[in-house]
Amino acid sequence: MRKYWFIFKTTVMESIQYILNTIIGFFTYFIVTFVFFQLWVYIYSDGQNTIAGYGLKQMVWYVMLTELMWFVNSNHTLLSQMSNDIRSGGIAYGINKPYHYLLYCVAKHFGDIAVRFVIYLVLGVLLGILFVGPLDNFCLWQLPFVSITFILGMTLNALIRMLINILCFWMEDAKPIQWIYDKFIIVIGTTFPIEIFPRWAQGALRFSPIFVITYGPVKLIIDFSFPLLFQVLAAQLAYLVSVALIMYFLYQKGVKRLNVNGG
Amino acid sequence: MLTAAKNQLRVSALSIKYNLMREMTNHASFIISVIFMMLNNATFIIQWIILFSIRSDFGGYRMKQVMLLWAIACSSYGIAHILFNKAFTISDSIMKGQLDSFLVQPKNVLISLITSETNTSSIGDLLYGIVVVLIVCPEKIGIYFLFSIFSAISFTAIAIQFGSFAFWIVRSDVIADYVISSMIHFSTYPADGIFKGVTKLILYTIVPVEFVNYMPLRLILHFNFEEFLYVLLFSVGITTIAIVTFYRGLRHYSSTNLMCGRIN
Repeated sequence: MRKYWFIFKTTVMESIQYILNTIIGFFTYFIVTFVFFQLWVYIYSDGQNTIAGYGLKQMVWYVMLTELMWFVNSNHTLLSQMSNDIRSGGIAYGINKPYHYLLYCVAKHFGDIAVRFVIYLVLGVLLGILFVGPLDNFCLWQLPFVSITFILGMTLNALIRMLINILCFWMEDAKPIQWIYDKFIIVIGTTFPIEIFPRWAQGALRFSPIFVITYGPVKLIIDFSFPLLFQVLAAQLAYLVSVALIMYFLYQKGVKRLNVNGG
Repeated sequence: MLTAAKNQLRVSALSIKYNLMREMTNHASFIISVIFMMLNNATFIIQWIILFSIRSDFGGYRMKQVMLLWAIACSSYGIAHILFNKAFTISDSIMKGQLDSFLVQPKNVLISLITSETNTSSIGDLLYGIVVVLIVCPEKIGIYFLFSIFSAISFTAIAIQFGSFAFWIVRSDVIADYVISSMIHFSTYPADGIFKGVTKLILYTIVPVEFVNYMPLRLILHFNFEEFLYVLLFSVGITTIAIVTFYRGLRHYSSTNLMCGRIN
């Protein structure tokens, strides 16, 4: 594991060199959350105190934190580098090294997003406080539990993205599937909590990646309870094992199909 | 002069045609990216169904108006990225000193540059807009096309305007990216009612979606000459400013002696 820790560390050092870009990049997050903030303020302005059990403050924090998880987790390694490597044959440079290519991608991805996560979290929390004030029910002792679900949620999201990239062994371009996955999480997973959907859809959504990637971890911050924590952790671990196994199996099959054009 | 303009148009049309042909070499990949882009846009219908189940209208906008707003945003984005995709990465070309191959051509530099690249998935955006209008209000398809073209021209001009700052400011691509991404985010939410005060002022000035999206929407629904004049003036004005800025900036351009070749 030391070599992956080293890859993680060197990528973190590299991203620190571009820290100003990361801070400037926060502006896009600000714009998106600002639009949603205005939207929810408008919706609540007709006198409704709660919608699906969420007050304005909780709803705005829900959107801000889910968007934060989403923004931080989208980076070059998972969005384009991996699929480009497979399509161009550049992966050949990755698979003949003394590390596992998939673990290399995971280490590089987390190295890429580590600094960004800290910066976005600090600025995002300040922004949330500026918009609607601090969350009423959140206590600091809940932080370690919530952090674990956050890390697992982000890992799972990274693995699903990698799984989609691996499809490039069979497809010319997996970008269209990335778009649909992105929109599935953005439209359904970050904008609304599950309780807002019709009852028949809620059951399905609780078994979907949304529950483990965005809803579960953020719901714990807004309204912490131990039964929910165990439920989220169990679902995250089940998803993690399943996705990792499928990814490993497909990768092994895909690598055998690899044709490298010399040059 | 007329012959020169005709020649330039012919060269640009050929450039776009060859870009498209190159992108369509792999038919399956091309069709998949177009269809998935349409589905990608369609997912937002779910968002609005949920929002309208919470509140019946948003500043006077109902489902029909929101769908039309999406149609204009998608088709203007689509047209701009099919025809003038390079306008959206113009700062990158300036910073990397990649304008040399355009400067040595006996044709208009700006037009040659912005038509040198096509984004084929944007065909999905354009088609999505058309499908939405055909479902929501098919009788408005003519006027919708007209204002989509106006919006696409203004959108491209804004990208050129902010991208051209790269002639003077290093890493001004960040500014251009933010303005463009802000325009995309704001353009799909109803402005009236939701956005107030300073935000509304920004939507008329720095991020002028009021002229690019909201006014064209109102004109499609209820045409009035005054707003039409505003849209027209804005379109002509911002295009002129963008062209002047680009050519003023071009005087400050310095090559990086980068060796590269252009296929078309």
